[in-house]
Amino acid sequence: MDSLHAIGFYVSSGVLLLGGLGVALMPGRDLRGLAMAAAGAGLAGVYVSLSAAFAAIVALVCYLGCAVLVAGPGYRSVESVVSPMWRQVGAAGAAALLAVLAYVAFRGDFVTARYSAGPLDLGAVANLLLAHDTLATEAIAALALAAAAGAAAAWRMRDRAR
Amino acid sequence: MTPTLVAVFFVAGGVVAAGAFGAAWRRDASAAVASIPVMFAGVGVAFAGVARFAAAGGQHLLGQELAVLLAIAALALLGLGLGIAGRESAR
Repeated sequence: MDSLHAIGFYVSSGVLLLGGLGVALMPGRDLRGLAMAAAGAGLAGVYVSLSAAFAAIVALVCYLGCAVLVAGPGYRSVESVVSPMWRQVGAAGAAALLAVLAYVAFRGDFVTARYSAGPLDLGAVANLLLAHDTLATEAIAALALAAAAGAAAAWRMRDRAR
Repeated sequence: MTPTLVAVFFVAGGVVAAGAFGAAWRRDASAAVASIPVMFAGVGVAFAGVARFAAAGGQHLLGQELAVLLAIAALALLGLGLGIAGRESAR
């Protein structure tokens, strides 16, 4: 990885982290939508610097869609009744998760291992779906996305018609 | 300073933790749901990093493929979650 890629990786990582924190902390939905778009741009930059250009394009489109959903007029706020103590416990849990993941990242490396996938040979199935027939799997995922979006839209329109 | 697998994992862990913090901290359930794509982004970075640095033998598309699927799943999940939230708040 040359220095240009390295700079791109670190800058994009910073944008991604700041965008993620913005989604968590920004007050209004407009600002949260902007933060989500920044996170998507940072994520796409990280993918490009990791030589995953196709994933970068898809991630950019999907996260811009997420930003539109968060900042759009269809957004409705639902206040939960969780007490402040449980929210603080959750935040402390997120900090503990960060510590655990940082330790795992520090110890992260590749190992040489052989995995027996059992009588179904799930490794071969995974290779077929995720390496050999990649575009077919993507098409099924896009179909599921369209079905979910259509179901949500139909659900809300039916509710509005009542 | 050349990025390594460890650096990628650090970034991925930070992003996942930021998403978990947002999901736990926000009082608004819709805003909490909006933090889930951030967590998915962290997981996708980890998968893409493994695919990038696993140099032994040919192309490793599996990690990139999972990163793409995670991005699509994040959008679908957020759309469904906000759709349900809009329906519930309209009642």
